[in-house]
Amino acid sequence: MITHLKNGRIYCPVIGADGVIQDIYIRDGKIIAKPNASEKVSQTYDLTGKIVMAGAIDMHSHIGGGKVNIARMMLPEFQNTKLQETKLYSEPEAHICTPNCSHHATPNTADTGFRYIEMGYTAAFEPAILPINARQAHLEMADTPMIDKGGYAMLGNDDYFLRLLSRKADQKAINDYVAWTLHATQAIGIKVVNPGGISAFKFNQRRLNLDENHSYYQVTPRAILKSLSTAVQQLGIAKPLHVHCNNLGAAGNFQTTLDTMGASDGIPMHLTHIQFHSYGAEGDKKFSSAAAQISEALNRNKHITADVGQILFGQTVTASGDSMMQHLNAKHANPKKSVIMDIECDAGCGVVPFKYRDQNYVNALQWAIGLEIFLSVEDPWRIFLTTDHPNGAPFTSYPHLIRLLMDKSFRNEAFAKLNLDAQAMSNLTSLNREYSLYEIAILTRAGAAKLIGLNDRGHLGAGAAADITIYTDQPDRESMFAKPDYVFKDGELVVKNGVVIKVVWGKTHTAKPEFDIGVEQNLKQYFDKYHTIQLDNFKISNDEIASDGRGGVITHTQSN
Amino acid sequence: MEISSNTQQDNKKVVATCPACGLLCDDMSLEIKQSGIKVLNTNCTKSIQFFEQPLGEISPKINGQPVTLQQAISHAATLLKASKKPLLAGLSSDVQGFRAVYSLAQKTNGHLQHLNSESMARNMAVLQSTGWQTTTLTEVKNRADVLVCIGTDIVSHNTRFFERFIWLSQDSSAMFTDASKREVIYIGENLNTQAGVSPDSKQPTSINCSQSDLPEILAVLRALIAGKKLKVQTVAGIKIGDLIAISDKLKQAKYAVLAWIAKDLDYAHAELTIQTITETVALLNSQTSRAAGLSLGGSDGDTSANNANTWLSGFSLKHSEIDYDATIWVNSFNAKNLPEKTVKSLIFLGNANTTFEQIPDVFIPIATPGLDCSGTLFRVDSAVVLPLKKVRQSNLPTLSKVISQIEVLLS
Repeated sequence: MITHLKNGRIYCPVIGADGVIQDIYIRDGKIIAKPNASEKVSQTYDLTGKIVMAGAIDMHSHIGGGKVNIARMMLPEFQNTKLQETKLYSEPEAHICTPNCSHHATPNTADTGFRYIEMGYTAAFEPAILPINARQAHLEMADTPMIDKGGYAMLGNDDYFLRLLSRKADQKAINDYVAWTLHATQAIGIKVVNPGGISAFKFNQRRLNLDENHSYYQVTPRAILKSLSTAVQQLGIAKPLHVHCNNLGAAGNFQTTLDTMGASDGIPMHLTHIQFHSYGAEGDKKFSSAAAQISEALNRNKHITADVGQILFGQTVTASGDSMMQHLNAKHANPKKSVIMDIECDAGCGVVPFKYRDQNYVNALQWAIGLEIFLSVEDPWRIFLTTDHPNGAPFTSYPHLIRLLMDKSFRNEAFAKLNLDAQAMSNLTSLNREYSLYEIAILTRAGAAKLIGLNDRGHLGAGAAADITIYTDQPDRESMFAKPDYVFKDGELVVKNGVVIKVVWGKTHTAKPEFDIGVEQNLKQYFDKYHTIQLDNFKISNDEIASDGRGGVITHTQSN
Repeated sequence: MEISSNTQQDNKKVVATCPACGLLCDDMSLEIKQSGIKVLNTNCTKSIQFFEQPLGEISPKINGQPVTLQQAISHAATLLKASKKPLLAGLSSDVQGFRAVYSLAQKTNGHLQHLNSESMARNMAVLQSTGWQTTTLTEVKNRADVLVCIGTDIVSHNTRFFERFIWLSQDSSAMFTDASKREVIYIGENLNTQAGVSPDSKQPTSINCSQSDLPEILAVLRALIAGKKLKVQTVAGIKIGDLIAISDKLKQAKYAVLAWIAKDLDYAHAELTIQTITETVALLNSQTSRAAGLSLGGSDGDTSANNANTWLSGFSLKHSEIDYDATIWVNSFNAKNLPEKTVKSLIFLGNANTTFEQIPDVFIPIATPGLDCSGTLFRVDSAVVLPLKKVRQSNLPTLSKVISQIEVLLS
């Protein structure tokens, strides 16, 4: 059975298609070069005048697990549609609503899947799976329809690792533990949040700088980054170490971020939601943009990739593993409530609701800083489009963000409405760049798939999974990206005119590098002595993820 | 790992997870014999009652008369079709069971009410009003140097709490504190403080007060920690000096844990007491030391139901009175959990050992997760989710299987 997508204008950087008219054929959920002469085409879609891209991939979005569910639980007001603000489209904080658009920062699992696929996103990756809480993350992702999913397991604040590092264990011991964790948690990458800081907070340290010692373990964040990034590289894990730097959200933190780029001695690292880590301390208000310094460093340091974590104005909630910094940020909570947790000698979390306002100096500048970074980083393969959902804004605002990147006059109009002091501190209007559709396809598809190591996603070449999104070319790029004409998931038409017409359940993407199973002997001793569950129960089997027949595990081969 | 029928002929030993309280002890050593299951490594009465419960009546019934499973399912569907607003209650099950119950509620316009909803609502009120700063059991085990048990002895709900997380067995150890030197403090009414006696026979501090005085005493403790000067000498009969001593211990602690059990704070507006506790924790953390709250208790899958309901619907489970015209009662884990008497139709999807006070219109015995089927359950601290094992053979259908068959007939 062949599906034929005819006469579409293709944007796919992987096959070098920059707006070329080209046909696509689908067989058994995969894109093929051309059907055999004997094969019958069962369906043809005439895509004349339409734009065709691979399904988009959100490489960093908090869609499942403890802290997201705490956010849902503590914020029933978010679900009350009557209380949700609706903005005029002309306002800088507006985004176009999809047919069932909720403005929820924390949609339930079904809405999460539906809102993503309605925008043409076919995969999303939960970036902060606490290993001890991984089962919950997978349970929630299993109840998230329509899209593929996966996650990054958090290490670097867990006592097992910190004990290894403080005892100067050899790199092999670290590598085996990192690989074991990936297997046990069914994750595809490794993340570190505020290296050492979450643990240090449990010992009553309130800040931790890159070269400052953890008071108990006497190790520095720099050493943690070096050890984990080396492990990820030596194990051949495609996804570089996902790094949430120290000093999240603090004025003047850009220096930590610049220094962090050097912490791995050239080994690849991904700095996540870098907007939140690009703050200077200049000016009357001691808060300024360091986007220029950060972008310049990103341009120079080819081993570093980053996603932006753009903020957009409106009500949201920040859900982070960074209990240390979220405890400091809790004073800004709006509504005034927050949850801070120490978790299982493994990690922590901090959930703080935020309302970003365009007339607030800091918020307005945060908005500008994110865009300055987007427009100043030269290589689109090393920068990724995220709002750190829901921390900067709900993912439903991506079409709005894409328009801000592609449409200079729209962007400048929005800028002109911001807090005036913030305008005076930003060079945004001097940045003339407008992203092309080809570059957007890199940011939201090809680049993300390449970074994570999803070889058969994010592109339209033969052999790729037929995750395909088709838009009507419109000058208003927000309208265009908010409501695709068609979305195909694994070859099936699931969205038509922005509305879901068929419910499907995606798969879970994982990486499983080889390792020495001998590591379990030490782990078992550690668990039996210090933990409160059995080692065997820590591990999540493929069967658990596939148990009800809806889900399934895809394991990607390693990069070397 | 599940055991197969041929291995069950022999006496087998398995390690299993116990769902009888919120601690989910997963070190249960069980001997599986043809005659039944024996718990080998603990004398926790809750665990023994759970694992050693006999395999009960497995025949479905309509009005007390045995019928086939298909007949019972068909009758349940007929009753549900006639209902405009069913109440799905009890809800004692695991994550998989709750998913099925949630789906049925969606299809029938049903209202969900867990049997622990009243006490859960106290915690949710605090979470949704101010939030909190809390910890989990492994942190408590490795870090806590001061434990305050507020309005509860803990062990009435969580039998092995002190054994597993405070005093520790020989094989177990705390990474960052000397377990045997921990300071235990009780505040509450005639609490059994025996479990708080240290292995070196050090007696815990105990402030004996009536439960109804807890709000006042805790408010004073919070004021002392905030540095307020008080002019009175006693509060609710307790010497201020005693409370100052506690306040000093909390401030000097490296990691103070303030524990409560919502079910034991059973009086009007007890949520305000919980809020006073969590605000005290926040106050300590804003000063120069670390502290954390710990909500304990939990059972009958309450934490699982609340979490699953939250991600499925976007809302936590509520406690509210509603009008309904039929009840579906679920008690997978404990046969003694029964619904209130009702004149409306009653569909009972329950533990096979249930003895009825009221003969339900339909009774369908279902598999108990952790005993008759595998499953997944949240621990009381919400951070840890554990698999449950099937440890004995039975032909009982799972809750989700029964509900999916009912749903087929509804559509």
